[in-house]
Amino acid sequence: MAVGTIHRRPGPAGTDARGRRDRRRRGPGLWHFLTFAAPGTLVYLCLVLAPIIMSVGYSLTNQALLRPRTEFVGLRNYELLLRDETFLQSLRVTTILTLIVVIVPNVLGVAVAVLLDRRGWLYNALRSVFFTPMVISSVVISVIWTRILADDGPVNQALRALGVREPPGWLSDPDIALYSLSSIVCWQMLGFCVVVYLAGLQGVPQELGEAAAIDGAGAVRRFRHVTWPLLAPALTINTVVLLISAFKIFDHVKVITNGGPGTGTTASVAFVVLQEGFVENRTGYASAEAVVMLVVIAALSVVTLRILQRREVQL
Amino acid sequence: MTIPTGPCRARIRTNDRMSFVAMLLAVTLAVTGCGSGDPSSAPTSAGGKQKVSFLIFPSPNLPESYWKAQVALVTKTHPDLEVELVAAPSESERNDYAKQLAASGQLPDVQIGMQDLIALEPSLEPWTEEELKDFLCPTCGAVNGKVLQLPANTQTIPNVFYNKKLFAKAGIEAPPKTYAELLATAEKLKAAGITPFVSGGAFVTSQPWTAILATDLYAKTPDWMTKRRQGAVTFAAPDMKAATQKFADLAAKGYIDKRQIGQDYPKTQEAFLAGKGAMYPMGSWFAAAADQSEMKADIGVFAWPSDDGSLHLPAYTGGGLSVSATAKNVAAAKRFALAFQLTKENLDASVKADALFPAIKGYTPPSGTGPVFKSVYDLWQQALAQKATVAPFGWEAGDTAMVPGMQGKFWSAAQDLVSGEKNVDQVLSFLDTEWEKSG
Repeated sequence: MAVGTIHRRPGPAGTDARGRRDRRRRGPGLWHFLTFAAPGTLVYLCLVLAPIIMSVGYSLTNQALLRPRTEFVGLRNYELLLRDETFLQSLRVTTILTLIVVIVPNVLGVAVAVLLDRRGWLYNALRSVFFTPMVISSVVISVIWTRILADDGPVNQALRALGVREPPGWLSDPDIALYSLSSIVCWQMLGFCVVVYLAGLQGVPQELGEAAAIDGAGAVRRFRHVTWPLLAPALTINTVVLLISAFKIFDHVKVITNGGPGTGTTASVAFVVLQEGFVENRTGYASAEAVVMLVVIAALSVVTLRILQRREVQL
Repeated sequence: MTIPTGPCRARIRTNDRMSFVAMLLAVTLAVTGCGSGDPSSAPTSAGGKQKVSFLIFPSPNLPESYWKAQVALVTKTHPDLEVELVAAPSESERNDYAKQLAASGQLPDVQIGMQDLIALEPSLEPWTEEELKDFLCPTCGAVNGKVLQLPANTQTIPNVFYNKKLFAKAGIEAPPKTYAELLATAEKLKAAGITPFVSGGAFVTSQPWTAILATDLYAKTPDWMTKRRQGAVTFAAPDMKAATQKFADLAAKGYIDKRQIGQDYPKTQEAFLAGKGAMYPMGSWFAAAADQSEMKADIGVFAWPSDDGSLHLPAYTGGGLSVSATAKNVAAAKRFALAFQLTKENLDASVKADALFPAIKGYTPPSGTGPVFKSVYDLWQQALAQKATVAPFGWEAGDTAMVPGMQGKFWSAAQDLVSGEKNVDQVLSFLDTEWEKSG
C-alpha cells in the first residue's frame, strides 16, 4: 500500500464510502418498479378486489337492480340463506358435481397419461386429441353434448337400435341429469389433467424406475412406490384447479339444463347466484350467496392445498 | 456496463416517474373505457334522422328478417326515424335480458313483448289515454294504474291443437267436450301406442297446468291472483291443490312423456308437426307455424275441456311495445311504437307470421290466413261471444300477474310434477316459499 494513499472506510450497508446510497446494489428505483407493478395491481384492485368488497357490502342490503331504494338489512340475507331450499339444494348439487369432477378426471387422467407417456407421432397426436376439448368453448361443447344426449340424439338412437325400448332421458330425467352434466365436464377437464400428469411423468428420473426394476419391482409396484409419489405436485395442481373450476361452474349448467329439469335439480351455486342477481333482480341476496360461495371455495382450496402440499413434503 | 451518474441519473429518475404516470393514465383510460357506450346516446344520425333502438326477440315464427321487414314498413311512412334492432338471445330469455339491460342503464328505447312489467315499471314510460284511444282494451296490463305497454294484441294460451290423423288411427271420431272425455281420449291414444300430449322444456310442459287452472280455478275465482298478492290465499289452497293434482295425474297416467321435458321449444314444436304426439297444448301463435307446415289440413283445435263442458278460454291482451323512460328521445320512440302497432300492414304481417289477434279498434284479419289460424280465431270469437275468456295462469300482466321471478318458478315446478321429482304438496309449498322470497 503506497504512503499517502487516502483510505476511505466503507459506509453502512447500501452506501458507498461517502455515505451515498448505492443504486447498483438497491436495484431499479421505486418509480421503475411501480411502472411495471401498477397496471396489474390497478386492474386487480378495480376488477377483483373492489367488486369483492362491494359484494360484501351489497350482501348486507336488500338491493334490487331495478328498485330505486336500497336499505341496509344487516345479516338478514345470510339468515334467509340458511333456510332457503333453493340455495341449500344448489349446495348439494355443487358438492356432488365437485366430487365427481375432482375424482374422475384425476383418476382417468393418470391412467391416460401413463398410456400416452411414450415417444412417437401417434402418441403426440393422441395427446392433442385428449387436450382438444379443453381449448373449445364450454358453450360449444355444451351445445354439442345437448344434441348428442337428446332423446332422439345419436346415443339413444344407438340404444334403440340395440333393442333398448326406453333409453334413459339423459338430460330430462332428474335422477340422471346431474350425472350427465358431470360427465360432460369430466370429459372436458380430462385433457387438462392428462397434460399436467404427462408433464409430471416426464420429470420422473428414469434411473429410479430402472433401479426399482433391478430390485425386482414389477410395473405396478414401480408405479405405486416410485412414480406416483413423484407425481404429488401434479396431483396438487389438478385437484385444486378442478375443485375451483367445479365449484364455480355456470356455463355448462346454463346451456345444457338451465338448472333443470324441474326446480334446481342441476342448478349449481354459481347458477343460482346469477339467477337471483340478474333474472330475479335480488342483487343484495345474490351477493350474500356469492360471498358464501367465495368463502367455501377459499376454505376448501386452502385445506386441500395444505393437505396435498404436506403430502408432497412427506414424500 | 456504464452506470449513469449525476444529471444523467436524475434524468432517468424523472423518466421513471413520467413513465409511471403515463402507465397510470393508460390503465385508467383502459379501465374506464371498458364501460360500454349507451346505445341511445346519439339520438340523431348523420343524416339528421331521429334514432330509435328497438329490442326484439327472434323466434321460430319471427326470424330477424321479419322484424327488419316490419320496421321497414314504419320507416317508409316515417322517413325521419332510423331504427336500430337489438336482438334478445331468445324468445324465452327476452324478459331477463331486458331487465339486465335496464339494470345497467342500457335498455333500448323501445321493447316488445315484455312480461315482467312490475319489475320494469321504474324503467318504462307510461302511455297516456290519448295515445291508447285506438286500442280495444286500453287499461289491460296496467301496473299501479299506469299502462306501460301497448295492449296491442290478444293471444289465447293454451288451445289444444290435435293431429286428426292420429285421432282417427286411435278410433277417436271427435275432439273431447268434457274433461272426462279428454281423459278417455288420452287413454285411447296411449292404448294405440300414441303419445297423447307433446311436451317439452319448461313453459311448454306447464301448458296443461295453465289450462286446468283456467277451467278449474280462474273460471270460479277470476281474482285469485289478486287475492294471492294480498296474501288472502296461498298456493296450498284446496282449489289450487285440486287443479294441480289433475295436472300431476296426467303425467302419472303416462299421458305426458316425461322424457320430452328435456327438449327445447323449437324441438317440441317440430315433434308435434312430425306426428310424435297427438295433442299439443300451446298458445294461439302456434297456428302460424301449423299453417306453414305440410300437415295444416290435419290439425284441429279445441279449448281445454272443463268438467261440465262449459267453455273457458284463457286469453291475454297486451304484448305490445313499451318505451324506455330513459330514452334520449321519448317522443320519437313513442311515435315509432304507435306507428308499429297501428299500421295495417304491420298488423296483417303479425297475424300471418305469429297468428296474433290485433286488439285494435276496427281491425279485421286479412283474408288468406291458413285453416289453423281460422280455427283458433273462431274459437276466440266464440269465447268472446259467450263472455267465456279467463286469464291464462302464469301469463297475466301488470297488477294481476305473479310477482317478479315467479313465472319461471311456476314453469320449473310443472317439470317437477311431470317428472315425479316432487309431489303436489311439495310443489305448492315450493311456490309459496318462492313467492314470499320474491315479494
